[in-house]
Amino acid sequence: MLQYIGKRLLQSVLTLFIIITIVFSLLRLMPEEGYLGAAADKMSPAQQEIYLTSLGLRDPILVQLGNFYKNLLQGDLGKSVTYRTDVPVVTIIADKITYSLLFGLGAVGLSLLIGVPLGIMMAYRKGRWLDRLGTGYIVFVVAVPAAVYYLVIQMYITELFQLPMLFDEYRPITWILPLTSMALAPTASYAMWMRRYMVDELNKDYIKLARAKGVKERTLMFKHVLRNAFIPMAQYLPATILFTITGSIYIESLYSIPGMGGLLVDAIQRQDNTIVQGLVLVFSSLGIIGLILGDIAMALVDPRIKLGKGGGVR
Amino acid sequence: MGMYTDEINNISNKSRETLFEFAEVDARQAEETGYSNYSYWRSTWQSFLKNRLAVFLLVGVIIIVGFTILQPYLPAQKSPTEIYLDEQTGMQARNIAPSAEFWFGTNSIGQDLWSRIWAGTRTSLFIGCVVALVEAVVGITIGTLWGFSRKLEAPITQLYNVVDNIPTTIVLILMSYILRPSISTIIIAMCITGWVEMARFIRNQIVILRDREYNLASKCLGTPDYRIILKNLLPYLISVIMLRMSLAIPFAIGAEVFLTYIGLGLPISEPSLGNLINEGRVLMMSPDLRYQLIFPSIVLSVITIAFYIIGNSFADAADPKNHV
Amino acid sequence: MRKYWLLFVCLVVLFCVACNDKSASEKASEYRVVYSGEIKTLNYLKTSETNEFAVAANMVDGLIEYDNYGVVQPGLAKEWSANEDATVWTFKLRDDAKWVTHEGKEYADVVAQDFVDGLHYVLDAKNESSTAWIATVVKNGEAFYNGEMNDFKEVGIKALDEHTVEYTLEAPTPYFLSMLNYVCFFPVNGKFIAEKGEDFGTTRENFLYNGAYILDKFEPQNERVLVKNETYWDKDKVLIDRIRYKYNKEAATVAPELFLRGEIDSASIPTSIIDEWFKDEKKKSQVRQTQNNFYTYFYALNFNPQFDAQYEPDNWKIAVNNKDFRKSLFHALDRVSAMLTVEPYNPADLLSNTITPKNFVDVEGVDYTQLAPLTSISNEDSFNKELALEYKEKAKTALAGKATFPVKVLMPYNAGMPDWANRSQVVEQQMEKLLGTDYVDIIVEAGPSTGFLSEVRRPGKFALLEANWGPDFADPSTYTDPFTVDGTYNKPELAEGYKEANGKTTYQNLVDQAKETIDTAKRYELFAKAEAFLIEEAFVIPYSVGGSGYMASKLNPFEAQYSPFGVTAEKFKGQQVLEKPMSNEEFKKALAEWEEERAEALANAEK
Repeated sequence: MLQYIGKRLLQSVLTLFIIITIVFSLLRLMPEEGYLGAAADKMSPAQQEIYLTSLGLRDPILVQLGNFYKNLLQGDLGKSVTYRTDVPVVTIIADKITYSLLFGLGAVGLSLLIGVPLGIMMAYRKGRWLDRLGTGYIVFVVAVPAAVYYLVIQMYITELFQLPMLFDEYRPITWILPLTSMALAPTASYAMWMRRYMVDELNKDYIKLARAKGVKERTLMFKHVLRNAFIPMAQYLPATILFTITGSIYIESLYSIPGMGGLLVDAIQRQDNTIVQGLVLVFSSLGIIGLILGDIAMALVDPRIKLGKGGGVR
Repeated sequence: MGMYTDEINNISNKSRETLFEFAEVDARQAEETGYSNYSYWRSTWQSFLKNRLAVFLLVGVIIIVGFTILQPYLPAQKSPTEIYLDEQTGMQARNIAPSAEFWFGTNSIGQDLWSRIWAGTRTSLFIGCVVALVEAVVGITIGTLWGFSRKLEAPITQLYNVVDNIPTTIVLILMSYILRPSISTIIIAMCITGWVEMARFIRNQIVILRDREYNLASKCLGTPDYRIILKNLLPYLISVIMLRMSLAIPFAIGAEVFLTYIGLGLPISEPSLGNLINEGRVLMMSPDLRYQLIFPSIVLSVITIAFYIIGNSFADAADPKNHV
Repeated sequence: MRKYWLLFVCLVVLFCVACNDKSASEKASEYRVVYSGEIKTLNYLKTSETNEFAVAANMVDGLIEYDNYGVVQPGLAKEWSANEDATVWTFKLRDDAKWVTHEGKEYADVVAQDFVDGLHYVLDAKNESSTAWIATVVKNGEAFYNGEMNDFKEVGIKALDEHTVEYTLEAPTPYFLSMLNYVCFFPVNGKFIAEKGEDFGTTRENFLYNGAYILDKFEPQNERVLVKNETYWDKDKVLIDRIRYKYNKEAATVAPELFLRGEIDSASIPTSIIDEWFKDEKKKSQVRQTQNNFYTYFYALNFNPQFDAQYEPDNWKIAVNNKDFRKSLFHALDRVSAMLTVEPYNPADLLSNTITPKNFVDVEGVDYTQLAPLTSISNEDSFNKELALEYKEKAKTALAGKATFPVKVLMPYNAGMPDWANRSQVVEQQMEKLLGTDYVDIIVEAGPSTGFLSEVRRPGKFALLEANWGPDFADPSTYTDPFTVDGTYNKPELAEGYKEANGKTTYQNLVDQAKETIDTAKRYELFAKAEAFLIEEAFVIPYSVGGSGYMASKLNPFEAQYSPFGVTAEKFKGQQVLEKPMSNEEFKKALAEWEEERAEALANAEK
C-alpha cells in the first residue's frame, strides 16, 4: 500500500510539472498590457520597456521558467503583479484557502448528509412519490442554470426571512444560505448516483437469494446493498470536494465570500500571471490528492480491492 | 410382414410422387435460418418507444431543433440583431413588454427577444452538437488506441493524467482567456477537456472486452484489428456512447452560460443562451422586465431536461440486456 | 454512522450560534458601499489607477486641496509663490501635520524632506511608478528617470528648511499647482519607506497616514474599513466617522437591492433597470443622475489602418483621406441615439461637442469651449441628416473610380463591456440606415476583453473607434496628447495634404505654437484654434463626457471637493451621509445652483 502511494505520488509530481510548464508557457503568450494596467496609455514606450524588463519579462522563456522552478522549490510562488502589487502569492492564496475549504467541506458534508439518505430512500421506495419527488429535484437542479437559481435564492429567501444579503464571517446566520445553495447541486448528484448504485445492486442475484432465505428487508438494505453501493461513491468523494471548491465561483461572487474561486476569476481578469500559475498549481495538486485519496478510500471500504497490482488508470 | 405391406407400398408410392423432392438451393432462405428476426436497432427503438415521457420529449426536441433551424425563414419573423425604433419618437423601442408586435418583448436597446432567443438557441445548440461530436470522435479514437495499442498506452496515460488533473473549470477559463472570445474559442475550450471522460471510459471497456474468448477466437481466425474494434467492440459500447453524447449537449450549453457569466463568453452582439441569461440576471428584481430572464431560462431548461431524459432512456433502451 | 452524528452535531451548534447572533452597530456616521474592482496596492507613489488612489486620497494629503467649487485651497502647504515665468515654485508647509501609524500613534512630523523623498521614489525607475511621466515636469526629472543622471540633488526639488519646499521646473508651467494634486507629488516618510522597501503599501501596517482617515481593516476581496484619523490637522471637516467597503463581484446585480434594503448607502443603478426605478413610486425618489467627469469620449477615424485585408484597409485609407467622406460620417452619427444605451432619460446631458469638456478651464469666467474658435462647434449638434447626405454625394463624386463603395468601416469594441457592445450595434444600424449600405458597410467586431487597447487601438486595427482620454492637469494641452505625433490613437499626422513648410502637420504646428505661449488668455485661444481645426477637419467626432449614469446615494455630491484631475474627487472630507438619498429633481436643482455659485467663486478666485 505504502509503496503504491509512493509510486502514485512520484507520478503525480511529474504530471504537475508538465501542467505547470504548459500553463506557464501559455500565459507568456498573453498581451503585455495587463502588466501595465491603466498606466498603459500614459507611459512612453521607453518607460514601458523599463517596467517590463524589471519584471523579468524580457528574459528568454527558459530562463523565466528556470527561475520559477528554482523559487518554487523554496516554497516561493513569486509576487503578485497586478492583483496586489508585491504581495507574495503564497500569502494571498493562504488568506483565501481557508474560506474555500470551509465552504467546500461544509457543502459536501451537508450534501452527503442529505443526498445519500435521499438516494437510499429513493431506491428503497422506487417508483413511489418520494422517488418521483427526488427525481424532480434532481432534474430541476440539472436543468435550471445555476446562475439563475442561486440569484433567486439570494434575493427572495433573504427577503422572506429578513436576512442580510451578504456574507459576514462574524455573523454565522449569514453562512447558512451560501452553504445550502452550494450544497444543492452535489446533493442532487449524490442522491442520483446513490439511487442508481442501489438499484443496480438490488437487481443482483444474491439479493434474490437472500430474500428467498428470509433475510429481513432492513438488514438486507443496510448490511448488503448499502455497503456495496457505497464503494463506487467512495471513490468519487474526494473529487467532488474539489469540484465544490472550484465550482463555488457563483456563490462566492454573489455573497462576497473571499474564497479562491473569485480569486481565480479576478486574477485572470487582471492578467496576474503569477497568481494564475500559483492557483493552477494548488488546484491541480488538490485534484491529484483527491484522486489518490479516492483510490485509497475505495480500498478501505472494499476489502476485495488491492492497490498496487495492475496499476494503470482508474 | 404381410399386414404392413400394403401400407408400405402405399407410402413408398406416394413418396415417389410428392413426399420427397430435391429442393433447389436457395441462398436467401439458407441465410434466414441462421437468424432470428431480431434486429438490434429495431429492438432498441421498440423499447425506447415504451418510455412515453422520453418519446414525448424526443418529439419536443425534434420540434425545437427543427424550429430553430426554420425560424428565420418563417413569415413575420424579425431579425435578432436589428434594433427596432419606436415609430412615434424615432428612438429605440426599449424594454417593450411582450405584445402582438414583439412576441417576447424587446431588450434594453430595442432588439426583438423572440428572434434573439431562437438565434441564441441555434448558437448554443450548434456549440453543443459540435462539442458532442468532437468529443465522441476524438474520445472514441483515442480511447480505442489507448486500450488496444500497447505502444501508445504510456504516452496517452500521461496525457490523460495531465488533462484530467486540472479541474475542468480551470481549463475552460484558461483557454477562453488565452484565445479571443468567439464561438470557435468556446468549442475548442470545451473539446480540450471533453474528450477525456469518453476516452477513459472507452479504454476501460475495451481492456475488459478485448481479451474475452470470442475476441481471442476472432483473432486466432485472423480477423484484422480494425475489424475487431469496429465489429466486435464498438457495438457493445453504443448505448454508453449515445448517453454521453446526449449529455454533452446540455453540458456544453451550461458551460457556455458559465463562461459568459465570468466574462469570457461570446460577445453580446452574438446572441446565445448564455448571453441572454446573463443580460437578464440584472433584471431579476424588476417585475416588469423579468420576462427578459424568464423566457431564455425556460428554453434552456426545457432543452436540458429533454436531452437529459432522452439520453438516459435511450441508454437503457440500447442495452441489449433489456431487449429480452 | 458516528460520522453522521458528528456532522449533525456540528450543524446544530452552528445553527444555535447563528440564532444568538446580535447585530450591534452604534449610531456613528457610517457610509457603506459594495465594490467589484479590488485595489492592488496602497502604494500611492506607484499606482495610477483611480480606484487605488481613491483610497490613498483619503489617507494621505498633498500640498494643496480644492474647495467644492474647484478653487485651490491650502492643504499641507499654508502658502505658496511662483517666480515670474512660472518655473520656480516655493511652498511653506503647515507645522501641525503628523504622520501616524495604523494604530493612530504618532510617528513623525510632516516635513519638507518628505516631499523630496516622495519624488525621489517616483523618479527612481526601479520602483516602477506608473505616474513618473507626470513628475518629469520637474527639472532633470526625465534624465534621472532614464538613468542619464545619477545624483538626485540635480533634480529640481529642494527642502530649503524643515517647512519650505522648492520646485524648479523644466519649462514654464503656469498650471503646476493642478499637478500637485497628483499622487506622484505626495509626501512620504523617507525612513519608513526605506525600512519597508518593497512591502510599502502592501498591508495597512506597512503604511503611514497623514490624511483624514486611517485604514482600520484591509482584507482584499472581502472588506476594507476607513476610520477617522483623530490626529488629523483638519479633523473638524471630516464628517463621516467610518467608511466600509464591502467587496462583491456581483455588485452591479446585487447593489441596487442592497441599497433598497438599507444595507448600503450608495449604489449605481444599471441602465437596464433604470426604467423600473423611475416607474416605481418608492424607488423613484431615491435615484438620481451622476455628475459628469472629465473623461472625453470621441470616435476616432484611423489614418494608419493596419487591420486585416478582408476589411480592405487600403480602400479605407483612400476614403478617410477625403474630407467630404470624413464629414459625411461626422454629420451622420446620431449621438443621442447612441447615448440612449447608457442614459435613456437625459441623453443630451452627457454629450460633448468638443474634445475638451465644458467647465474644464476658463479665461476670466468664459469657459474654454466658448472661446471664439470653438463657439460654433460647441453650440451645434454635429448630427445633421441633410449635411451628411450632402457630403455623401460630394464624397461619392470625388472618390468615384478611386475607392470602392460601400467602404468597409471596421468598428471594434471591447467584448468585456456590454454597454459598448450595445452602442456599437446602435451606431452601426443608425449610420448605415442614414447613409445607405451602398455607401458604407460598418462592421462591428468584438475585440478581446483583456488587452483591448494593445491589441486593437495601438496597432491601428480599426477604421472607426470609440476612444477616450482623461486629463492630467489644468491645461488644455492635456487634451492634445492623443493627436500629436507620439499619440497612439488615430495618427492624424498621417493624413494627406496637411503638411506645412516645416515638415510638420498643420495641427501639430498649431499645438506647438500654443504650448510655447505663456499668457493664459492667448494660450487657451491658440489651443481652442487647434482643437477647432481637429474637429472641423473631422479627424475625430466628439461624442460625450464620462459619467456613470444613474445612482442611488446618500451623499451630496456638491459638498465634495471638486477638481477635474488628480485625487480630489475621491476625497470624503467635507461630505456627510444624508438621511435619505437625493432625488433627481433635487439633484438637478442643486446642480444648477452649484454651477452658478461655482462661476462666481471662480471669478472671485482669479481677482
